[in-house]
Parts: sequence; C-alpha cells; structure tokens
Amino acid sequence: MRVGWFLALRQIRRGGKGTTALIIFIMMLTFLNLVVVSGLLLGLITGSFVQYRENYTGEVFISSAPGREHIERSQELINYLENDNRVTAFSPRYTVSATVLGTLNRLPQKNEQTNETGARIVGIDALAEEATTKLSHSIKVGETLHPEDDGYILIGANLLKKYSAFADANIPGVVFLEDVDVGSRVRVTINQGDEGPVVKDFIVKGVVKSKVDEISSRMFVTNDVIKRLLPINKLEIQEIAIRTNHDNVPQLVSDLKQLFPPKDARIQTSEESIPSFLRDIETTMGVLGNALSSIALVVATITVFIVIFINAVTKRKFIGIMKGIGISPLSIQFSYVLMAIFYGAMGSAIGTALTFGVLKPYFTANPINFPFSDGILVATPSGALLRIAILMAVTVLAGYIPAKLIVRKNTLDAILGR
Amino acid sequence: MISAKNIVKSYGKGELELVVLKNISLEIKDGEFVAIIGPSGAGKSTLLYQLSLLDEPNSGEVYFNREPMLGLSQTDKTSVRLHEMGFVFQDYALLPELTALENVSLPIIMQGLSKSDAAKKAAVALKQVGLADKFNNLPSQLSGGQQQRVSIARAIAHEPHILFADEPTANLDTASSQTVIENFLDLHRNGQTIVMVTHEKEYAKKATRIIELRDGVIVSDKKN
Repeated sequence: MRVGWFLALRQIRRGGKGTTALIIFIMMLTFLNLVVVSGLLLGLITGSFVQYRENYTGEVFISSAPGREHIERSQELINYLENDNRVTAFSPRYTVSATVLGTLNRLPQKNEQTNETGARIVGIDALAEEATTKLSHSIKVGETLHPEDDGYILIGANLLKKYSAFADANIPGVVFLEDVDVGSRVRVTINQGDEGPVVKDFIVKGVVKSKVDEISSRMFVTNDVIKRLLPINKLEIQEIAIRTNHDNVPQLVSDLKQLFPPKDARIQTSEESIPSFLRDIETTMGVLGNALSSIALVVATITVFIVIFINAVTKRKFIGIMKGIGISPLSIQFSYVLMAIFYGAMGSAIGTALTFGVLKPYFTANPINFPFSDGILVATPSGALLRIAILMAVTVLAGYIPAKLIVRKNTLDAILGR
Repeated sequence: MISAKNIVKSYGKGELELVVLKNISLEIKDGEFVAIIGPSGAGKSTLLYQLSLLDEPNSGEVYFNREPMLGLSQTDKTSVRLHEMGFVFQDYALLPELTALENVSLPIIMQGLSKSDAAKKAAVALKQVGLADKFNNLPSQLSGGQQQRVSIARAIAHEPHILFADEPTANLDTASSQTVIENFLDLHRNGQTIVMVTHEKEYAKKATRIIELRDGVIVSDKKN
C-alpha cells in the first residue's frame, strides 16, 4: 500500500503535466456527460413543472371536487387561508366556460365562419393573482389587469391567430380569433343554461402568453366583473392557487384535507395536480437520461481503460524493473488504481464545481427556450454524488484491469522490451 | 550461497529452437566476486537471469542457501529478489519520476521500513557510491555514470545477500566505468557477494573468480 502511494504520488507530481491535465479534462467531460446531459433532458420537463407551479397552481392547488361545479364552503376555505400564517399568498378564481366573438362590426358573409372560439373565462382578484402567480410577467402585449378594470379582458395567446404557436398548423376543430389584438373589442357569451346566455363586450387589455397551457388558453377578467355576469353561486369559486414555503406543503395539505374532505374540494400539491401526460414525459426523459448516462459510463470506462493502459504500456519496462528489484505486483497495480482514482476524483471535482458553480446558475438564469417549457439543468448534490460514486467505481475497475494486464507480463520480457 | 544444477535454457521450438545454456552447473559462495565473461551470444546474461530468478530454465534447478527456488510462486520469487538480491542493469533502469534518493529508497520501503528510515539508509548507500550531493536529482539530471552509481546504491541499500550486475559498464565511458568497478571492489571488500556479467576482460580481472562461457557451456572457471 505504502509503495503504491509512494509511486502514484510521484508519478502524478512529476509525470507530464500536459498529459495529466488532458486526462483530468477527459474525466471532467465524462462527468459532465453523466450529469449535465441527463440533467438537461430532465430539466426540459422539470422546467415545465416549475412553470406550472409558479404560473398556475402555486405550491398547493385546490379545485372543485370531481363532478362538482365549484368548491364547497368556498368562503370558509378562503377565511381559513387568510388566517393561516403558513400561506404567503393565494388567489381564488372563478372560472366558467364561455365563447368569445372577435368581430363585432360586421356579420359573417355566406360560407364564412364566425370569428368565434370557446375558452374558460377566469375571474381573478388582480392583486392576489399577481402576488400568487405574477400574472403580469406573462403579459406578452399590453398590460395586466388592475382591480378597477371593469370592461377589460386579458386573452390567452393560444386563442389568437396572431400569437398562437399552433395557428399555422390548421388543426381540425381548433379555431383562433382573427384580427384580435390589444385594444380590440370582443364579445363574451356565457351560457347559463335555463337562464339564457349572458353577453358582455370587453376591450382587450393584454395578451397572456405562458408555456403553461392553462394560462395561455384562458381569458381573464376581474372577479367583480364575473360575479356580475354570473347570476347564481356568486360566492362559490372553482379554484385556488396557494403559495407557501415548500417545507410547509405536506402539513398544509393534510390540514386542509381534514377540514375540507374530498366531497368539498380536491386539494393537491402542485406535483399532484400536474397532468399525467407530463408525468409520462418525465418518466420518458428519465429513461432517456439513464440510457445516455449508461452510454456515457461505458465511454468513461473505455476512456479510463485506454488512458491507464497506454500509461502502463509506455512504462512496461519500468514495471518490469520494479518487479525485478522486488516491488510486488500488487503495489504496482495499486499505484495505477490510485492514479486512476486521482484522475477520476479531479475530473469529478472540477465537473461538480462547474455544474453547481457555473452551469446550473447559468441555465437557471438563461433557461433553454423550448416550446413547452423553459429548460433548466436538474442537478442535485445527491444525484451528483451518486454519479461520482459510479464514476469512481468504474474508474477503479478501468484502472485496475489494464494495470493487471501489464503487470502480469513476464518480468524479463518487460525489462528487455521483448 | 547460490548454485545452479544442470541448467538448460532454450528459446523457440522445433527447428527454430536455440539452446542458449547447455547443462550448466555452478556454485557461488558467499563473499565471492564472480565475473561471467564470454563473447556475444555465449549465454552470459541468460545465466545471470536464471540465477537471479528473473527467468526460469527449461530444466535444472537453482538453489539459494541450499533451498530450491524454481518451484516458488512468482510472488515468493519477487520476495526473494527483494530481500536477498540486488540488481544493476546495463541501462541503469532508474524510475524517471523518482529522485536518486527515492529510487534507492523504493526497495527499502517495500521491505517495510518507514519512508524516513528508508531515506536514511538510501542516503548512506548514495554516499557510499560518491553521490552525496545528488540526492534530489532526477535521473534525467544525472550523467550515465552517475545514474549507474545510483543503480548500484539501489541494489545494495537494502543489504542484499547477493548483487547481480548485467554489463554494468557497457554504456559508460572509461572514467565512469572505472568508478563503477571501484564501487564494486569496495562493496566486495566489505563482504558483498557479487555476480557481474561483462564482456570487458579488463574489468573481469578485478573479480576474484572468472567464469567463461562459450556457446552456452562453461569453458573455464578460474580463481583470480
């Protein structure tokens, strides 16, 4: 052991600096390949989860129980949230299905479709919504709503031909409003069943565009306006987004569920409320990430093997001499394993510093712009540690095997270079 | 004491077989300085490799202190080389990343001494060969003669029973060769057993016994 250390330390210290730097650089790239590639893949979908939470649900999301039109005991729930100091902000929302007509100044001509589409219209407390989801950050054009904005509406970009990313796809059954922009007048019709439709004209104050579909496909007005439009259930709301400290989430959800059983409301964490297809994508990305990591691991193994093998082959004569003067083969092999560990540890250390010190902050500040999410780099210390452990295990193996192959060669042949 | 009995060593097979050592038997007593001489291809170095357990003969036996050696495992042979033998190679065979002191310390550390104790013994050996001022020099910073003296220091520092030297002066100029031979004579005067292969008769004459090989056979074995 001591001789192994003695040899390894000196070979590292006095060996070619360029070669050592190159090997460490390769090991660092291998580490990044293991952590960053899979981290970015997972980050594409995790980015959408983050946006889903930040722009739509908050940490806890309450919606109507299945088969119900609204959350039961809504006002009692709101009172509870107002008095719970774990809740930093919350936004109660009224939602109802509506149609919106984009052309008011003329009737459609023969065989011309009405410039009309259907969407959910959401009544919000503008200040509470801003505090909860920062709706103003999702305004692509125009301005956000203010509490006193009576007669103004925000329209989701997915409803407008001019702003929707799918407008040129000509999807059957999907209709976009044409010629509607900030300042346009639109007519919203809410069908109230037996009580007949409620119709109101609004001026478009802003266009909302987010990578969360639930935001970009809705229309927003103030809750005062929608309460006037809805003749019944004026106090009953459909959903509430709640902000709280992440650590409080399990207990808050548990407490809320005790007070408001499943028949009254569906109470979920943000993660639970994520649609299952996004979960499936996450699983797929995870599988892809693992597959790529496995390939990276094989490449890493081969790389270390080749590096150590070449190193050992070029020193074959000296290995023979060491054996000749009585240095045990195990000590020589141990020195090569130590060198491999050094290369792996240095590469991992630099890779970790680069991942957490540069790449992760960079991708958080400058997410990758994907159509369905802002891709971030998902890299956790525990995940990085696991990959370091795997890389080191592979490194030890890939260092040991070539050293053993060379060391077990005939001593005299090695000394004489035969 | 080391001895060989009926050593046969050949390379290749069938028609290509070349018999290098033909039934060699000899005995080297403690304290002897033996020079093995002969023309190129006579089998001098091959005989040295068999005696020093670096190679195995096709038949015959090598005894060290009357114990048969050829049945030992590679690990045991390595251990015998570490504790009982020292080697001086023709091309010095120093490890390039280790200083002179570290090169000499290496077998001593392998024997189990601490690094500092090994360094002390290594320093004594280096002083013995006249390199007291070259402890921290890497092999690349030493002349050929100095490297060979470091090699000698490495071979004797762990106090081996027997010192093997394979053409130790072949790569050296006359002055350096003289110094190396003087080192060997000093060691011999202190009781070191030495087996040296050389093709230079002038240096062979310094030994106490000269064994001459020709075509794999001992043609003469004389006390000097």
